Amino acid sequence: MTSISHHNPLYRIVVAHYLLAGLCFLILAGMFLFSVESLSGHYFQPKILALTHTAALGWGTMIIFGALYQLLPVILETNLYSTIFPWISLAFFVPGIILLVYSFWIFDPGLYMQIASILVLTGVIFFTLNVFFTVKRKKRESIFQEFIITSVLWLTLTALLGTLLVFNFQFSFLQKDHLDFLRLHAHMGIVGWFLMLIIGVSAKLVPMFLVSKYQKVQLLSFSYYFINAALVSFLLSAYLQGIVFITYVVVLLGATGVSFYLFYLFKCMKSRIRKEVDLPMVKTLFSFLLLAAGMLVLPFILYYHLENHRLAVNMSTLYGILIFMGWISALILGQTFKTLPFIVWLKHYEHLAGNVKTPVPADLLNGRLLYIQFVAFFLFLVTFIAGFLLGSIVMRFMGACSLIVTALSYLFHVIYLLLHKTKIRNYDDI
Amino acid sequence: MTISDIPSALKTVIDPELNLNIVDLGLVYALKLNETTRQFLIEMSLSSKFCPMGESILSATKNCMERTFPDYMTEVTLVWEPEWSYKFISEEGLKTLRGY
Repeated sequence: MTSISHHNPLYRIVVAHYLLAGLCFLILAGMFLFSVESLSGHYFQPKILALTHTAALGWGTMIIFGALYQLLPVILETNLYSTIFPWISLAFFVPGIILLVYSFWIFDPGLYMQIASILVLTGVIFFTLNVFFTVKRKKRESIFQEFIITSVLWLTLTALLGTLLVFNFQFSFLQKDHLDFLRLHAHMGIVGWFLMLIIGVSAKLVPMFLVSKYQKVQLLSFSYYFINAALVSFLLSAYLQGIVFITYVVVLLGATGVSFYLFYLFKCMKSRIRKEVDLPMVKTLFSFLLLAAGMLVLPFILYYHLENHRLAVNMSTLYGILIFMGWISALILGQTFKTLPFIVWLKHYEHLAGNVKTPVPADLLNGRLLYIQFVAFFLFLVTFIAGFLLGSIVMRFMGACSLIVTALSYLFHVIYLLLHKTKIRNYDDI
Repeated sequence: MTISDIPSALKTVIDPELNLNIVDLGLVYALKLNETTRQFLIEMSLSSKFCPMGESILSATKNCMERTFPDYMTEVTLVWEPEWSYKFISEEGLKTLRGY
């Protein structure tokens, strides 16, 4: 058994990642505000590259790293291999992200960007080694483990290809066009890393939080093989032939894989014993609708791309917004306030429970901040996406402002939880 | 306090996530009293191995028993057989979780 008590080194590791991710989210929201006009153009441009890497690395990956250090022992039922590796990983990862995003923003594809990519890759390698050695300790295999290991492998490959792309800016050693590789890099990250990892972790946690009767994992196995088959087929076909008609089949394969997973979630939801679904879980379930919405955009991207229509680029940007700012962000906004209260609760109350009346982790949350964050995020999605589709800069600006409110309320809430003061009552006084 | 008060005492130990007590959750498998050594022996399980709240629930059980029965010692043993499932939740517990 493992836990994050007051003296456990995991507490500082997890909290550091949550705080840094919250800060990156705020910076990302600020960057959105200064990029509302750039988002109408092609996605291969400095500001969008900076935005995407802030979202993918500073926000999404940073919080996943922190959450995984907390959740790996729960999901894999074994202790984390090292509590030193996360600090080493972070020491490379943070300066790497700052330098990379800055180099993209001002577009300086020289030495600084190259150093940044090596730093990020090193941080990822330390994380990967920790996950591999942790999994190696485990005796019983499970589909959750397969998802996690595979996702971490894809992450390493994504970072490796990203590093090669950075060096290719200066040395031009890759045989094909930079944009062709960018497509592969993006999908290794989105499907291989984020989707695989999120399925692996949520497939274990969602039934736990809902107290679901559904225990079968066959749908997850189907999902695993379909999604990986789709990704490998996409990488091969896109590398060899580019985007062609057969890519529709690849998308269908991937969509089937995602559908198996969404059906698994539906079964868990339907067979849940706990009927009340709290706001963080509502956000979590809502995030999967955004994933489905993102998937629905894919055939349009293909269609317009094959027609050589300019809308292909706009649709790709919309897909990116739905995936990074919709699905991944909604999931993080929800799951942070399912997992962080536990960490804080353990620090304050683990040694007191049973002796005195303690609050439960959900009592540590600030309902008002949770609500503000939910409404602001919803407004961001509606106004920003509508502004994007209608070509309205004013709406996009309003969306970016809502995102800043979301990020501020998120960061304040994280800090509010971390500053929690122990509150107890004696049983005799009740 | 008498021995018959044990279940109600243990009902003050709450699973922090589910906000449901460990008795109705079906986590307590066996309860024995050794009058010679004046010791309670509790066999209990958790809803999942490596449950992040596991240590907290076990120590809360021990603390609760020693608070309620100060003249007795308590030993809590964690067991995994049979593996806990939702079927172990009492009717009362199900009502609390369902909300009706």
